[in-house]
Amino acid sequence: MPKSTTSETLTSELENRLDELFQEDGPSAEALTPRSANPKPLAELKKAVLSIDWEITSEAVESFLAQIRLLKEVYQTDKAAIVLLQILGSLGQYIKSNRSKAHSSTFSLLNAVFARLEEITNHPGMPELTKRKLLQAQISAYQQLREKVSQRRAAGAGRPPAASAAASAPLPHRSTAAVVTAPVLAQAIAELKDYIHSEMEALRRLIKSDPSQ
Amino acid sequence: MAFVNLKNKLIQVKIVYYGPGRGGKTTNLEYINRTFANRIHSEMVTVKTHGDRTLFFDFLPFDIGLVNGYQIKIQLYTVPGQVKYDATRRLVLRGVDGVVFVADGMTVRRENNIESLHNLQENLASYKKNLRTLPWVLQYNKMDLKQQGIPIMTLQTLEQDLNQEFHRPFFPASALEGINVAATLKKIISLTVASIRKEFR
Repeated sequence: MPKSTTSETLTSELENRLDELFQEDGPSAEALTPRSANPKPLAELKKAVLSIDWEITSEAVESFLAQIRLLKEVYQTDKAAIVLLQILGSLGQYIKSNRSKAHSSTFSLLNAVFARLEEITNHPGMPELTKRKLLQAQISAYQQLREKVSQRRAAGAGRPPAASAAASAPLPHRSTAAVVTAPVLAQAIAELKDYIHSEMEALRRLIKSDPSQ
Repeated sequence: MAFVNLKNKLIQVKIVYYGPGRGGKTTNLEYINRTFANRIHSEMVTVKTHGDRTLFFDFLPFDIGLVNGYQIKIQLYTVPGQVKYDATRRLVLRGVDGVVFVADGMTVRRENNIESLHNLQENLASYKKNLRTLPWVLQYNKMDLKQQGIPIMTLQTLEQDLNQEFHRPFFPASALEGINVAATLKKIISLTVASIRKEFR
């Protein structure tokens, strides 16, 4: 058989085999063309925020955190947007660790911070002073939430063991050592990381905002 | 260089997904592994990751089956995209037969793409290979983000930056949505197998 014919046979056989293996019914390249006349970078994040508000699922939280990562790249030169995205990211991590046990104020703050982010990114000409005021209000609200969470944790940790009720009562009254399971430990580590991270962020912001430093 | 056993009629092909960090290399392999799992009967191995970042490499081996009497085995690898892991990237490139360069379509990543392509050229040179002779294709990833209003480079800009002197096949894609992931893979396999065949003829 001539070489060129052998080569053609191989090529067509290989291509048929590849088509068989990797045939798909998924979205086509046409899906890459914009569907909306006026697309918004925050549209997917908004969906994720609304999803979390409706029900905290792993998918919703993961999608939310993925959008935060993406938008941090998109708005890397916009300091105000980055700070708000950092707050949203911290809230997302906190929700991921605590799910429905997260402090009830978390969700209203999540919505409020997102609304400010939308406001800032939709008005690129917004004066710096206005931006700073908006930011300051969200940072204060975030710090308040952190304090509430810390207080709740402290109250939980300081609860005295009710020895008399131990035999009949469910887990909450047992000693801490008795209920330290792997998931609890993992959750505690995640919370601690979250806390350290937010403390570092707050410190950085304080240093930046104090001109005497 | 590909492992070819003429006696057993076996060809083993190594394809590396290269590109800047967070560009979507791992997402490509994850999509292939997830979507075609029941046909390729394989398992993806991720060697050490930190959070969602690749620190060493991802590895997805699979068999194409018999083609013209030859058993063809494909090995897909990704490299860590972060600049600091250059030694790992070079190591993964050892014995590479074909490359998919996964460029990030986001405007803010323009420099990273160019830098990563230069890095690929440098690392290939250490194995006496180059982009003029090696089979490779480009994938312009994240093009779907345009729908979200995120600034994305035009194909013209991407082509000018990365493919002007090579004229290699390119695919606008969304690895997350699976758009053109299979097309990219099919193209690089055909080009690589054809090149190996030519070399051994």
